[in-house]
Amino acid sequence: MSDKKFLSALARKRIGKFLTHFTLIIITIMALFPILTTLLISFKEQADITRNPPVIFPCDTETDDFDPSACRWVVQGYERVLAPKPSETSITGIEFTGNMVRTYLPNTILYATIASLLVVLLAGTSGYAFSRFKFRGNKALMSGILAITGVPLLTNVLALYQMGVKIRKSGLPFDDRFFIIFIYVGFFLPLSVWIAKGFFDAIPKELEEAALIDGCSPLGALMRVVMPLAAPGLGAVFLLTFVNVWNEFIAGYLLITKNENKTAMFGIYDFISVNLINLQVVAAVCILIALPIVVLFLFTRRTFLSAMVEGAVKG
Amino acid sequence: MQKILTRWKNSKWVRNSFPFWLILPTIIALLIVQVYPAFYTIWLSFQERSPDGWEFVGAKNFERLFAMSIFNESIGHTIIYLVGYVGLTLIIGFFIAFLLSKKIKFSGGYITLLFIPWVIAQIIVGLVFRLLVVPNYGLLSGIFGNPELFPPDGLSVLTAVRPAPWFGDFPFPPSPAMIFLILASTWRALPFVMLLLLAAIQTIPTQVIESSRIDGANAWQRIRYIMLPLIMPTLVVAIFSLTLSGINGVGMVFSLTGGGPGTNTQVLSYLLYTIGWGQLRFGRAAALALLMAAINWVLITGTMRITKTGTGEEDVR
Repeated sequence: MSDKKFLSALARKRIGKFLTHFTLIIITIMALFPILTTLLISFKEQADITRNPPVIFPCDTETDDFDPSACRWVVQGYERVLAPKPSETSITGIEFTGNMVRTYLPNTILYATIASLLVVLLAGTSGYAFSRFKFRGNKALMSGILAITGVPLLTNVLALYQMGVKIRKSGLPFDDRFFIIFIYVGFFLPLSVWIAKGFFDAIPKELEEAALIDGCSPLGALMRVVMPLAAPGLGAVFLLTFVNVWNEFIAGYLLITKNENKTAMFGIYDFISVNLINLQVVAAVCILIALPIVVLFLFTRRTFLSAMVEGAVKG
Repeated sequence: MQKILTRWKNSKWVRNSFPFWLILPTIIALLIVQVYPAFYTIWLSFQERSPDGWEFVGAKNFERLFAMSIFNESIGHTIIYLVGYVGLTLIIGFFIAFLLSKKIKFSGGYITLLFIPWVIAQIIVGLVFRLLVVPNYGLLSGIFGNPELFPPDGLSVLTAVRPAPWFGDFPFPPSPAMIFLILASTWRALPFVMLLLLAAIQTIPTQVIESSRIDGANAWQRIRYIMLPLIMPTLVVAIFSLTLSGINGVGMVFSLTGGGPGTNTQVLSYLLYTIGWGQLRFGRAAALALLMAAINWVLITGTMRITKTGTGEEDVR
C-alpha cells in the first residue's frame, strides 16, 4: 500500500468516527428534546405559557430576542403541585399539602417497595429451584411461566375488577392496598422468575455442592452460599419491578376504589383534567414524578441494563 | 429435639420436595392473579348483567361486539398504529444500534442518555408530547400551525380529524393525532429495541465482519447479507414484543389523545376501557379482552418457538 493510499484510509476512518459521533449526538439531543422542553415549561409563568406564538425561552424583552438577564423563571408550577404551607411541626418549617405529595406519591412508594421485595423473594426462591433442581415438570412449568409473561395486565384487569367487586360485596375484609400489591406481585413475577433463573444459572453449581458435602442443609446452602452471589441479580430484579410498579397506570386507576389509596400515575392523570391551560403545573408534576425514577436509573444503570437484556432475550 | 430436627432436615422426603416448596408460593400467586382471571374472562364473555347477577347469553356478546362500527374502526386504527410503531421503532432502533456497535468512545454514555425515555411512564410520555402540541400554546403547534408549511390553514395536531379514507372503511390515511401517537410510542420504545439489537449485533463474531470487509463488501452489503440474517431471531423477538406492548399499551392513549379527536386514535386497548368502564358492558368488554388475549397468546408462543429453536439458548444452559 502506498503512503498516499494509507493516509487516505486513515483519514476516512477518522471521518467515519466523527460522523458516527455527530449522528449519535444529534440523536441523543433529539431523544432528550421533549424532556428538556418539559423542564423549561415547568419553570415558566402563566403569561409566558399562554403566548401565541409560543417561545422556548422566556427570556425576550421588547428590544432583545434573547437576554439571559431578563429571563422570567418561576417555580409557580411546582408550588401548585406541592402546595407548601408554613407549619410549626415540621423540621423545615414548611409542610407540603398537595395531594400528590401527601397521598399519591407515598402510596406509589409503598406499593412499589413492598411489591418489589415480595417479587424478589418469590422470584429468588423459585428461580433458584428452576435453575438447580431437576424435577418432574420443571421445563413445562418454566414454559408456562414464560407464556404467562406476555399476558397483559389490561385483559386481566376486567376480571380482577370483578373479583374486587365480589370480595367487597361478600363482606370479607378487603383492602385496596393489599389487593393492588398482590396484583402487582403476580403480574411482574413471571418475567422476574426468568431473569432470576438466568442469574442463578450463571453461578457455578460446584460451590453449593461443596457446601452440601460439608454438611450444609439445602436451605443453608441457598441462604449462605448462593444468595450472596446472586445479590446483584436480585437487586436488578428489584429495580426493574420497582420501576414497573411506579410507572403502572391502568390497574392502579381502575382497581383502587378509594381516592386516598390511589397512585401517583392516577394523580398525574387527574392533573390533566384540572389544569387544561396551566401547562406549567402539568409539566411540573411530570418532572416531579419522573425524576426519582430517572435518577434511580442513572445511578444503577449497569444493574438495570443487565436485567433488561436478560429479560428481553427471554421475551 | 435438635436431633429430630436434623434428621427431619436430612430426610429424603424433605430433600426431594425442597424445590417444590420453593416454587409453591410463586405458583399460587400466578394462579390467583393470572390464571384464574383468564378463565374468569372466558366465563364473563358469555354473560350479561341482569337485575339478579349474571345471565348466560351464549355468543351474543361477540355478535354485538362485531356489530359495533367502532369495533371495526378500532381494528383499523390498531393495525395502522402497530405497523407504524413497530416499523418505525425497528428501523430507527437498528440504525442507532448499528452506530453504537462500532468501536467508539463514550458508547456507554450514549446508551445511558438514550435509555432515559424508557424509564419514563407511558402516562408521563403522553403528557410530555401533549405539551409540545397543545393547541396554540405548544412549542411545536406554532410550526404545525404555520399555513405556509401545512396548507391550506395550518394543522392542529390534536384536533384535526382524519381525511376521507382511501380504501373503503379502512381508516387510512390516519389522523395527525395518530401519527403523533405513533411518534410518542416510538420515542419511548426505541431504547429497548436499540439495546436488544445492539446485544445481538455484538454477538456476531468480528472475524465474520472483517472477512466480509476484506472480500470487498460495502457497508450496505454487510448489513443486508451478514448482519440482518445473523440477528434475524432477535429481530423477530423484537417485532413480537413490540407488537405485544403496542396492542396492550393504553397509558399513552389516555394522556396524549384520550382516543380523540372523535374516535380517531381509538385503538382496541382503549376501546376495551370505554366498553368496560365507560359503558359498563362488562360481558362485551370481556369478549374483546378474550380476542386480544388470543392475539397475545399467538404472539407469545411464536416468540417462545423462536427463542428456543432460533438461538438455541435454552439448550446451552
